[in-house]
Amino acid sequence: MNSITEKLKSFIDNGIDALDDEMLSELGAPETKQAPLKPEKPQRQAFHIAAKSRLGRCLHLCSGVLLCAALISLMLLTVSRLPAFGHPDTLSHNEVSEFYVENGVKDTGAVNIVTSIILNYRGFDTLGESHVLFIAVCAVMILLRNSPTDRSTLLSAYANGDDKDEPHDDLILFAGGRIAVPLILMFGLYIILNGNISPGGGFSGGAVIGAGLILYLSIYGYPASSRFMNITTFRAVSASALMSYCAFKTYHFICGYNGLESVFTRGVPGSIFSGGMLLYLNIFVGAVVAMTMYALFTLFRKGDF
Amino acid sequence: MPEHIRFILFCILLAAGLILEFHALLGVNRFGFALSRLHAASIGDTLGLMLITLACVVKSGLNLLSLKFAFVLLFMLITSPMSSHLISLLVYRTDKEVGREAPIWKQ
Repeated sequence: MNSITEKLKSFIDNGIDALDDEMLSELGAPETKQAPLKPEKPQRQAFHIAAKSRLGRCLHLCSGVLLCAALISLMLLTVSRLPAFGHPDTLSHNEVSEFYVENGVKDTGAVNIVTSIILNYRGFDTLGESHVLFIAVCAVMILLRNSPTDRSTLLSAYANGDDKDEPHDDLILFAGGRIAVPLILMFGLYIILNGNISPGGGFSGGAVIGAGLILYLSIYGYPASSRFMNITTFRAVSASALMSYCAFKTYHFICGYNGLESVFTRGVPGSIFSGGMLLYLNIFVGAVVAMTMYALFTLFRKGDF
Repeated sequence: MPEHIRFILFCILLAAGLILEFHALLGVNRFGFALSRLHAASIGDTLGLMLITLACVVKSGLNLLSLKFAFVLLFMLITSPMSSHLISLLVYRTDKEVGREAPIWKQ
């Protein structure tokens, strides 16, 4: 009686493996069988059984293949039912896009209609998107950020040359980076500042600037980049950009709702200060995106800034 | 420049560039050693791209577009040898028998 309850208890604790091994030992199996008694992994028992028997494995494979085939055929069917590109009867070609194309320049003063849509007509939505980026970095920081002792060992390992993944004193890399990094950063700034008059804007320009910063980190190493890009910079730039965006948008909504004349005039469409506050909003969005890209990269790479 | 001479020049440059790119493709897929594959790939990234860009400039004439082509070429010429250098450094550091294909000077 006692042995049965023990057996049941071990079955509950250790899954079916323990039961099998005990039964084998009771039946007088050789002693070597008892050696690999595994007390771990009670949570994987269902999968374990499926992988153990031949039929289960076969079923597992077949269901996976069937599921994949069903998904692929569903997606291909959807694609084949889509309207042709540029067809006038497509669903997306309705009065909303016509309204934007007709009144975009007149309403906002920005020649780039995409920017006028995402920052003016749907500016509140873009505010949410920027916050999503910020929250993503916060979540990654909670999960992956190092303690201060880890950080000091990381820096000392880099200084001693123990860090094999990092380039140390690489002449080719340094010479290339001296040309490439300023070019990339300048191009990103150009995209952001010209967001209201040419293709581009805060998101794409911020992504370019973030890529340039990541390149700087990869070339010149961890201590060089943490001189100017650390947690303080990230906090200051991201938070101030998001709060400024909020403030500008609040002012915009208050003025628009009450019919007041805004300080930010529409200007001459095509000049760099046209489009009211779109230029400033582009700068804020670009700052948030650049910081987010850099922070995600460096947190996943080293666990710190 | 007469139009047909320009067209012939464009064809020659484009064909040369495409032949080089084909060699790069062949080398990347057929060579057995990482450094050899890298060598083949960097042929297409440098000389092949140069010839194709030059062909495009010849085709479109000297204008703003050719300046953009020049920028693309400059950027590729800076960054592609950098990445090749890093990959070869990684192979050199991690491969224990790096000198089995050709003698390599070890520090």
